[in-house]
Amino acid sequence: MLRDIAGLAILFIMPMALILIMTLLQDNTFKALEENKIDIILVNNDAGELGQAIEKGLDEADFFDITDSISDKQVTAKQAYSLVANGKYQMAIVIPADATSCIRNNVTKQIASQIPDLAEYIPIDSTVKSEKLDIQILFDPITKSSFKTSIQSALMQFTSKIESQLAFKIYGKIFKEHLEIDVKEPENFGSLITFSEKYATNEDSRIIPNSVQHNVPAWTLFAMFFIVIPLAGNIIKERESGSVLRLKTMPGSYSAVLLGKISIYFFIGLIQAALMISIGVFVLPLFGLPSLVLGSNFIALFAIVAAAALAAVGFGVLIGTIATTHEQASIFGAVSTVILAALGGIWVPTFIMPEIMRKISVMSPMNWALNGFYDIFLRDSDIYGIAPYIGLLILFFGISVAITYLYNKYNRSIS
Amino acid sequence: MTTQPYISVKELCKIYPNSDTFAVKDLSLDIEKGEIFGLLGPNGAGKTTTISMLCSLLSPTSGKIIIDKHDMAVEVNKIRKIVGVVPQDITLYPKLTARENLRFFGNMYGLKGKELREKIDFYLEEFGLINKRDKRVETFSGGMKRRINLLAGTLHNPDILFLDEPTVGIDVQSRLVIIDFLRKLNSENTTIVYTSHHMEEAQGLCTKIGIIDKGNIIATGSPQQLISSHTDCESLEDIFIKHTGRQLRD
Repeated sequence: MLRDIAGLAILFIMPMALILIMTLLQDNTFKALEENKIDIILVNNDAGELGQAIEKGLDEADFFDITDSISDKQVTAKQAYSLVANGKYQMAIVIPADATSCIRNNVTKQIASQIPDLAEYIPIDSTVKSEKLDIQILFDPITKSSFKTSIQSALMQFTSKIESQLAFKIYGKIFKEHLEIDVKEPENFGSLITFSEKYATNEDSRIIPNSVQHNVPAWTLFAMFFIVIPLAGNIIKERESGSVLRLKTMPGSYSAVLLGKISIYFFIGLIQAALMISIGVFVLPLFGLPSLVLGSNFIALFAIVAAAALAAVGFGVLIGTIATTHEQASIFGAVSTVILAALGGIWVPTFIMPEIMRKISVMSPMNWALNGFYDIFLRDSDIYGIAPYIGLLILFFGISVAITYLYNKYNRSIS
Repeated sequence: MTTQPYISVKELCKIYPNSDTFAVKDLSLDIEKGEIFGLLGPNGAGKTTTISMLCSLLSPTSGKIIIDKHDMAVEVNKIRKIVGVVPQDITLYPKLTARENLRFFGNMYGLKGKELREKIDFYLEEFGLINKRDKRVETFSGGMKRRINLLAGTLHNPDILFLDEPTVGIDVQSRLVIIDFLRKLNSENTTIVYTSHHMEEAQGLCTKIGIIDKGNIIATGSPQQLISSHTDCESLEDIFIKHTGRQLRD
């Protein structure tokens, strides 16, 4: 085997390089999907509690990168509008100068309308001009609707909290002044409900999905399916060199010869997968990426790798049998592998595909295998959990081999 | 009681797909055990098609082939076990060495271990290739490839050996080695069926000749019988020309 260094490189070294390069390249894309913050301008003209609460809340949300000054000068509403209009920022929030007073007046008015007997004792600040609080949110037209929803929800939350705090204060003052009941400020205001995040995986798994967890199995599968080209080429070369003629006149069926070929290439597929997964575990961390976490089900992992290798080899045998020239096999093999990869979510994960493409993606064997990997790595699935994917991959292999067998049989009967 | 010929071919026909003419038409012939049967004919006469059907590479359109009492249509695997095939093209793996090629084809015939190793070395010695045994076949000359090609089909000591133009395009020395080897195999009771364009070679080697043209046998018999029955012909070549004509064939 060592006599064919180029062949070794194609089968093993190039796929490992592919994994390394693609994972490094796509790491930022994944971070953009998962972790990147939204750049916003905050123009806080309000010196009161509401302005402070919004500023603090946005800062603590860890979802926004807030800018409130440029060149050490506070950004004005006009500048903010211009910066967003020019596309330099995705959005801006402009809090008017009397925001806290306005919201306080509005709350006071509501309470006064609730308790008309005490209305004359509830002071309303007549210096506040605005009747309704208007916090402006300026959006770049290309801002994603999900970002808009995020910022609107956050602002609603902050203002509601301030409204409630103000209402409590006013009620407390009324109780004290008119009912002589001492009302204390509530402790941990707004923290009565907590939200805890947890990935829904079996057996309390703590695995966190990342670019490595997508890219390593994805490109492993891509490289494994590329075995179609050398395998199909081998079958055609054997046919062109005439060796197959001799094999067809030997005892035992030609299917046995194909079975031998399938076994060898299946074994190569397993070695490829082992090497590429090792890159994910041991080499990617050297480049500052997270290590590939394999989950805890190694039997399931082996099963999905084996099923994917079988599917790839079956496809290669089919192409090698049907293609009549080396060129046909190379081009069709490469293009079909790329198409199956694109459909299967190797390049662009299916969860960010348009809905129609998501539906189509389930037709790709690479998608079945990738989903199997996801289930093992991210959901700690066992072999029963990924059985449907294994079944589909083996079915794909079976259909490919059956077509190959029937094609050979038909060909021999008419040749 | 009549005994069945070792190889019996009855009304064999072959029409290739997308063709409306017969490559082989109603061809019948009998070959006895231990014979060297030479199938001679011009280009396109049907030699390769006939021998390909005899060695189970092609399915006949119609007709019957019985070899050693086994019907090809029913018991093809039994026939394949006793048959060796040396195709016209070099059917070897060019990237493998001579020894690797022979080991692979030997394994395919069920040979293995020490017996196979010794056999390979013995034949490579006989064929003057022992020093080249670990060289890749792609580096060999035409004559060397032909010799290995022959060995690959005979390692398992077949009862019947089919050869399609085994000496085409090679040097005289390689041709002589191959012819001597075929004679030796025949002396060990191997039945040989081969096609050739070399009339002189066939006349010297074959115990029986069949001249084929347009897919059918037009003359058959031992070289001596054929020559004596054609009083106007001095050699097999004359008989061949007489039956097939002088016009060029493609």
